[in-house]
Amino acid sequence: MSEQETGAKRQVVVWRGDQVPVHHDIPGPGDLRDDTHTGRVLIGSLVRAQLGLSLLCLMLALAVTVSFPLVAALVPAVGQMKVFGLPLTLIVLGFAFYPVFLAVGWFYHRQARQLEARFTDLVDPPGRGTAQGRTSDRHA
Amino acid sequence: MPDTAIGAIAFVTLLTLVVGARGIRVARTPDDFMVAARQVPPAINAAAISGEYLSAASFLGIAGLIVSQGLGSLWYSVGYTAGYLVLLLLVAAPLRRFGAYTIPDFAAGRLGSTGLRRVATALVLVIGWFYLLPQMKGAGITLQWVLGVPYWIGVVTLGVVVSGNIAMGGMKGITFVQCFQYWLKLCAIGIPALVLLIAIGHGSDRNLQPGSAPVFTRATLVQVPQTVEFTLARPATVTVSGRVDQRNYRDQAVPLCACQHVAGAGTRLGFAAGAPAPTSLAMAPPARVSWDSPFATAGTDGAHPLASTYGVIIATFFGAIGLPHILVRFYTNPDGEAARRTTLIVVLLLSTFYLFPTVLAVLTRLHAPQLYLVGDSDDVILALPSLLLSGLPGQLLAALVAAGAFAAFLSTSSGLLVSVAGALSHDFLRGGVTSFRWCAIAAGAVVTTASLLIGRFNLALLVGWAFAIAASSFCPLLVLGIWWRQLTRAGAAAGIVVGGGACVSAIVATMAGAATHGWSAVLLGQPAIWTVPLAFGVMIVTSLLTQATVPGNVGQVMLRMHLPEALSRHDYRPYSLERGRRSPGR
Repeated sequence: MSEQETGAKRQVVVWRGDQVPVHHDIPGPGDLRDDTHTGRVLIGSLVRAQLGLSLLCLMLALAVTVSFPLVAALVPAVGQMKVFGLPLTLIVLGFAFYPVFLAVGWFYHRQARQLEARFTDLVDPPGRGTAQGRTSDRHA
Repeated sequence: MPDTAIGAIAFVTLLTLVVGARGIRVARTPDDFMVAARQVPPAINAAAISGEYLSAASFLGIAGLIVSQGLGSLWYSVGYTAGYLVLLLLVAAPLRRFGAYTIPDFAAGRLGSTGLRRVATALVLVIGWFYLLPQMKGAGITLQWVLGVPYWIGVVTLGVVVSGNIAMGGMKGITFVQCFQYWLKLCAIGIPALVLLIAIGHGSDRNLQPGSAPVFTRATLVQVPQTVEFTLARPATVTVSGRVDQRNYRDQAVPLCACQHVAGAGTRLGFAAGAPAPTSLAMAPPARVSWDSPFATAGTDGAHPLASTYGVIIATFFGAIGLPHILVRFYTNPDGEAARRTTLIVVLLLSTFYLFPTVLAVLTRLHAPQLYLVGDSDDVILALPSLLLSGLPGQLLAALVAAGAFAAFLSTSSGLLVSVAGALSHDFLRGGVTSFRWCAIAAGAVVTTASLLIGRFNLALLVGWAFAIAASSFCPLLVLGIWWRQLTRAGAAAGIVVGGGACVSAIVATMAGAATHGWSAVLLGQPAIWTVPLAFGVMIVTSLLTQATVPGNVGQVMLRMHLPEALSRHDYRPYSLERGRRSPGR
C-alpha cells in the first residue's frame, strides 16, 4: 500500500542518540543468544558459581582422603591402630571413604541443580514463560 | 572344578554375544553404533558405565595386590571410585551438554583445530593400548588357571570374541551387555565373598597383627603346581614330598632356614599350625612396609611411602576423567542433569562393588596363607574359593569367580576397543560403519599380539598406569577446556604432549626396569605426582603466551556447556559442531 493511495502524510521519525533501546533493558535469554555484554556477565557469573561449588566439594573430598596418609606418616601409631580387632587402615580405606564420596556427590548434585534453577529464574522469570521444562519444575 | 568353570565362562561369553547381537538389528547409522542413540535412562546407563569400568584390575588385580603388598593397595579401589566423584564435580554435565562423542571431538569442537584432534586421537590410542593390555593378561591367566591351557589361548580367545562382537553389534548392543555385566560382576564377587565370610569368617585374627608375616593357622598341606622360588620369614620344619633345593624327599621332615628356597613342580609341603607361610617372589611385599600400613607402595621398594601414595591418589582420582572409553558413555545421557544423576549412581554402584575384593583379600590373608606361594598375585582370587570350601560349593564359587573375571575382561576390553576403533575410523580414516568394523578387528589383533609379550606386572598396577597417562593429558584438557575461557589450541597441544609424553616415558622406563630403588622408583613408578601438575602448568602457561589465538566462538561454546537445559531447550541452540551429523539435537 503506497502513501499516495492512502493519502496519509509521511512522518519522518529520527532516532535520537539519547534514547535507549528497550529490548535489552531486562536481562533475558536474548542476551545469552546474542552474546551481549549483559549475556557474558550473566553466563560468567553462572560458570564462576558452578566452578566454586565444584572446587569446594573437590577440596572436601580431597581433604578427607589425603589427610589420612599424612596423619599416619606424622604419627606412625595411627597406621597400626586397631578398631574392633580390625586394622584402622582396613576400616578407613576399605569402608569409610565410600559414604563420604556419596555424601559429597549428593550434596553437589543438589546444590548444582538449585544453582541452575536460580539462574533460570533470574534470566527467564517464570512469568515470562519462554523456557520450557525448567529444572525447578521438573524436580519440584 | 575345570568343568564347572568352563561351563560358566562359556555361558558368560555366549550370553554376551547373544545380548550384543540384539544390537545388530537396531544399529543402522554411525550414530546408533557410536552412542546408542542417546536414549538410555540414568539407572541403566550408570550400570553400563560401571560394568564397562570394572575391569580385570578391579576384579582380580586389587585383591591380589592387597594380599601381596598390604592394605595400602586399597588406595586403588578408593581412587577408582573417587575418580567418578571428581568426574561428577568437574566435567559430567558440561561435557554432556557440549555434545561430542569422544575426547578428540571435544578438543576439535572446543578449540577448532584439526591438528589438536590428531594429537588427541593418538593419545586415545596410547591410553586404550595401556588399558587393553591388562585385560588381555587377565584373560590369559584366568583361562590358564581354570583350564591349564597356555597363556596365549586365553588372550587370543578374548581378542577374537571382543573384536568380533563389536564389529557385529556396535555400541547399541554393548550398552545392554555392559549393564548386564555390572550385575554379573557384582554377583560373581559378592556371592563368594559373603558365602566365604559366613562359612569361615570367624577364627584367629593372628595374621592381622601389625608387622607380622603370615602364618598357617592350622596344619596345611600345600601342593606346588609349578617350580617356584620362595622365602620363609622364620626357620621352620616342613614335611616335604618331592623336590626342594635340588634334593628329593619322600615324606620327610626337613628344617628350612629363613632364606630363599626352590620347590619343584608337584612337590607337596606340609606345614604345622603356626608355621610361617612361604612367600613367592611375585607375592613378596616391599621391605620395611608392614602389611597393615596405610601407604600404597606397590611398584616401589617401600621408600618414600607418602609420595608414592599421593602418586596413586592423583593418578586414580583424576585419571577417570580422561579415560577414552568412559566419556563416550556420557553422551548416552539425555541431558546434563541426567549425566550428573548417572554419575552419582555410578559412585554408589562402584562403592558397593569394591567392598567385596577387600573382603576376599582379608579372608585370604587370614585363612589361606598358602596363596602367598602362587606365582602371580592376580591368581589369588581365582584360587581362594576352592581352598576355603571343599567339594561342590567351593567348585561352584570358583566357577562363579572365573566367569565374573571373564565378564570383566569382556566388558572393559569391548568398551576400550570401541573407543580405539572409533578414534581410528573417525579421526584418521574418516570412514563409516564398514571402516569402524575393520578398525575394530585390526585394533583387536594388534593388542592381542602385544599382550602376549607382557606378564609380570600386577593388573591393578598396569591399569593404574593407564589412569596416570589419562590424568596427565586429557584431564587438564577437559577441566581447563570446560572452565577456562583462555585455553588456546597451542596450550592444549603442548600440555597433552608434554604431560602425556613425560608420563608414558616414566612408565616405559619402569616397565623396562630402569628404576627400582628410592626416589627414582617412586617418581618413575607413580609418575602422576609430577606429570599431572606439569601438564596443567604447561597448558596454562602456553595458553597465556598465545592469547591472540583464543577461538572467537569461545563465548558460544561456554554458553553451550554451562547453560541449564531449561534455557537451552528453548529456541536458541547456539552452536553446532563442524560436522552436520554430529549436531546435538540428534
